[in-house]
Amino acid sequence: MSMRPVIVGGGSAGMAAAIELANEGVGSVLIDEASRPGGVVFRGPLRGGVDVGYLGARYSKALGKLHADFATCARHIDLRLNSRVVGADNQSLMMLDEQEQLQPVGYEQLVLAAGCHERNVPFPGWTLPGVMLLGGLQLQIKSNVVKPLGRTLIAGTGPLLPLVACQLHAAGAKVTGVFEACAFSRIARETLALMNKPQLFLDGLSMLGYLKLHGIPMHYGWGVVAARGEGELSEVSVAPYDQAWQADLKRVQRESVQTLAVGYGFIPRTQLSQQLGLAHGYSADGYLRAECNAWQQSNVPHIHLAGDMAGIRGGEAAMLTGRIAAVSILHQRGVLNAEQAIERRERYLGQLAGIGRFRSGVERYTARGPAQVELPQADTVICRCEQVTREAIDLALQQGVQDMAGLKMRTRVSMGDCQGRMCVGYCSDRLRAATGRADVGWLRPRFPVDPVPFSAFKHLGTEA
Amino acid sequence: MERTLDIQPLAADPITLHINGSPVNAAPGETVLSVLNAVGLRQLARNDHGQVSGAFCGMGVCHCCLVAIDGRAKRRACQTVVRPGMRVETLVNPICSEVPA
Repeated sequence: MSMRPVIVGGGSAGMAAAIELANEGVGSVLIDEASRPGGVVFRGPLRGGVDVGYLGARYSKALGKLHADFATCARHIDLRLNSRVVGADNQSLMMLDEQEQLQPVGYEQLVLAAGCHERNVPFPGWTLPGVMLLGGLQLQIKSNVVKPLGRTLIAGTGPLLPLVACQLHAAGAKVTGVFEACAFSRIARETLALMNKPQLFLDGLSMLGYLKLHGIPMHYGWGVVAARGEGELSEVSVAPYDQAWQADLKRVQRESVQTLAVGYGFIPRTQLSQQLGLAHGYSADGYLRAECNAWQQSNVPHIHLAGDMAGIRGGEAAMLTGRIAAVSILHQRGVLNAEQAIERRERYLGQLAGIGRFRSGVERYTARGPAQVELPQADTVICRCEQVTREAIDLALQQGVQDMAGLKMRTRVSMGDCQGRMCVGYCSDRLRAATGRADVGWLRPRFPVDPVPFSAFKHLGTEA
Repeated sequence: MERTLDIQPLAADPITLHINGSPVNAAPGETVLSVLNAVGLRQLARNDHGQVSGAFCGMGVCHCCLVAIDGRAKRRACQTVVRPGMRVETLVNPICSEVPA
């Protein structure tokens, strides 16, 4: 009997792939680290009895629909929650299961849909409790149903900023202001591209209207400079950013807040695709992403990529690429013939094209300015796990370090608990700027890609 | 400990867990981090260098919300679902045992 397809990541992409397979009667194994499927976008509240109206009507509807569709397919989907895939080769995965035991999971076809995490931008004071990544704060209100403490300031770039500001306000939190790094004229210039998703464009406008109505100021061309506080955050400094995102330190303004949410972009979670030795490339934003073809196949055809791992495009695109990956698998398994598979793929690709044009507009206006890397002071920590400061990185670059592996050996960046996920963006930016090269390497994830307890190995290999 | 930051009240029949020895209500299904958030406790972890951190990524990636749970150190508060009677300790690190200021 042939093995079931395995899907790693139960977010938008992974759920859509499982649904597409189930609709053809093909069962799959769907693995997710959280206690509920949905990923960061569609996990929904983790406790019962919550009215999600404060997250917006369209979001509540989409959330309900995805989980209802998924529920109708439940008998075809072997859902493994609270489980992490910590290693992979081209025949099987190594999974840390709910009981924290390692077990191999074999596959014939694989969909990698691990999503992304946020890009961390270091500045003085970023490590203070009370400073959070923007998506992390959004998760706190969406899945944890808890408001942030005190007044909140939002700084970053992109459409997530006004969305989270509206959701925070609707949840009863006080938002002092939103600081979008790019100038308004840069957004206005992309109007035509943004109109490729008219509903999203209108949603954006209505969010701006909502903020205005509730007296939450939206500042364009401003960004974070520093955070201060004794033990916890109490004050944030913001300043105008120029085209290159150089902060004008003569015009710094201080805001008294207890919570700061920072969102300057995303980085794909490529640990497993790298460990599998798949082909990768770099985006215009400088992050590493796995490469795939129009079938969402990697350079190893039975291993597919779906969602943000292959480049950041957001939840709606993730669902479509998840479905395309599933169509490819249905073809590989002989459930669909070539003609049927192509016809269905073209339908999804058609929907994806509009999103692609919209995203290109967003990417152009949110393009990060190269001068933001100058925010940290000499003693500002860059790698929090190993307490590596900017000074140490500057010194390593002066001494001629050329790539990520060299910087790691020289300074210990990326060698701690988070395995570099929080400092890789900054380190890569600095290395590219210092060397003038586009490819300075990336973190090389080894097994296990997340820390595992020694006791996890207890039963491994003893069944035979 | 009082939960003051819930967006909506907990449903009936909460469970009880203990944060640094104090009892606090929790709803089945929620994470340890959401309980810590709800009571306004933000200085959560002490890393091997003695540095204090609070929740940062909220999604299991950054390892900044590591707390001790039922005596086991370095558990991600954001990835751990509550259980009745769970004992959560903040700012503990088995390598760096400096007493919080």
